[in-house]
Amino acid sequence: MPQLRDSSSERLRDEGEVCPGYNSFDRICGLETEYGLAATGTRRHCEASEAAMAMFRPVVMKARSTNTYLENGARLYLDVGSHPEYATAEARDPMDALKQDLAGEAIMRNLASSAQQELRTSYGAGTTVHVFKNNADSSGHSFGCHENYLVRRYVPLSAIKSQLLPFLITRQLFTGAGCVTSDGFEITQRARFVEDGVSSATTRVRPMVNTRDEPHADPNEFRRLHVIIGDSNRSQWATFMKLATTHLVLCVIEEAARTGKRSGLEDCALNNPGAANRALSADLTLHAADMDPTDADAFLSGIDRFDNATHPTHHSGSEIHDVNHHTTGRKITALEIQYRYWSVASRFVNTHRQAMTQSLPHSDCDEVLADWKMTLDALQSGDLSFLRSKVDWIAKYELLSELRNRGSDISYARLRQLDMDYHDISAGVTYPSLCRHGVIHTLVSADAVRSSVQTPPNDTRAALRGAFITAANACGGEYACDWTDLKTSRPQRLEAQLIDPFSTEPPADYQRLINSLHVRPSHRS
Amino acid sequence: MPQQFIQPQQNHETVTDPINRGQTGVGTEPLTDVLDAVLDDISTALDENAEEYVSSFVQKGGQ
Repeated sequence: MPQLRDSSSERLRDEGEVCPGYNSFDRICGLETEYGLAATGTRRHCEASEAAMAMFRPVVMKARSTNTYLENGARLYLDVGSHPEYATAEARDPMDALKQDLAGEAIMRNLASSAQQELRTSYGAGTTVHVFKNNADSSGHSFGCHENYLVRRYVPLSAIKSQLLPFLITRQLFTGAGCVTSDGFEITQRARFVEDGVSSATTRVRPMVNTRDEPHADPNEFRRLHVIIGDSNRSQWATFMKLATTHLVLCVIEEAARTGKRSGLEDCALNNPGAANRALSADLTLHAADMDPTDADAFLSGIDRFDNATHPTHHSGSEIHDVNHHTTGRKITALEIQYRYWSVASRFVNTHRQAMTQSLPHSDCDEVLADWKMTLDALQSGDLSFLRSKVDWIAKYELLSELRNRGSDISYARLRQLDMDYHDISAGVTYPSLCRHGVIHTLVSADAVRSSVQTPPNDTRAALRGAFITAANACGGEYACDWTDLKTSRPQRLEAQLIDPFSTEPPADYQRLINSLHVRPSHRS
Repeated sequence: MPQQFIQPQQNHETVTDPINRGQTGVGTEPLTDVLDAVLDDISTALDENAEEYVSSFVQKGGQ
């Protein structure tokens, strides 16, 4: 990992020689999704590790490894604990990241299908392989869906902690995947498993943001923000909005760090992010949990400056607001914090219109803001019918409630089974049925997903990596690669480095590599 | 192996109501008939033993 370095926020070089994407709000984002595995209907117990090896048999045959990169630029590998994992290729636009993530689901589904055929010969014809895009198994082991954002190096980790964490926690009101637990239904899958705010730990104590700093880019210019608090989403809207709204907030934080001015988000800092996270997750009223900002009075005094100007009515729906407005010690809800982020982001887009428009090549900042606002208004008013087509936890919660309302005697195990089935991308029936009947809306067509299995985003380094892998596969070349480095050992020993993730311009060494792959070797040893 | 799958708090007679937490701000509006079709799909497909299904999914954690 040549780009690994400490997490200081100082640049080491002159401002002159930066990559073209540096002086902009352009961003690379991506998703790493760990999947859970199980086999049911077997004659004897089938370990997850066996199912995983069966799934990765075709991968190992082709790549001689359980860790490989694909023609669409993505990485596919088997992670610790027999979790199949898929990391999307670099995307500039959240819509591209969503398509790449859905391509990952399709790839896992295919692998599961061939594994199921194989396992049926030894475990019986009734064997079904389940691939769960969720975040915990039934005995409480947790695994994640990690978001990566390329962030300019001058953003200090203190700003991430005080200004981004409150957003990451409270956005779960619309990005939470929902979870049936023994203590009741929760909004998020991960709240019980993440503790620290920002740290370098991973599996023992999980932080919400991991500081492991491998930018896969020039480390003088960028850090990679590794967000691990998020749930895995089935809802395409939720995946898109999770990335899009986080991008907008990061732009605000970056610009404040660059100019040394206030972002307007300082007052959102929380006393205890872990406690706020757990409180939010358990609060289905959406108005009871106190996010406990470090300086509640400062936050409240900002309501007039920020929120009322852009959103004069949002307090009227809540009694708490009217009774306790501007009194010391009153609680601050997750929705209030979300409204603050929305207000600040909305102003920011208006005052940085050209650069912000450019930062999202396929999506529209104004549409993201409008959708975000409608979502908050629906949550605020309690009118959730608008959100069941978009928000995973609401769709799941309403389905399970409906089942309960129909008077059937439904066991805890059955509820958990339905919860798990919702996340099963291989054999699950719940989510496809909700989509087929129009309860949940999708954003990406089946054709577009199929195309994304073969095709990387065309406006990042991923396009070059994908073309390299496609060419190497076509000529039977032997190659190895990672996010930045490409190497061949046959037909020729060559290598190339792609250090700028924004660039689709082939460097000279890359061109030599590609040329060597287009010349068929006269004989093969 | 199977013994470790069963956690004491998973006994549904002793747990808090898994859906309702008392007062909620959500889910009060009746769903449309379309959910009939969804629930039909689910009940047809998920006829296996729920306890067994749930306990089959045990792995070590990831990140």
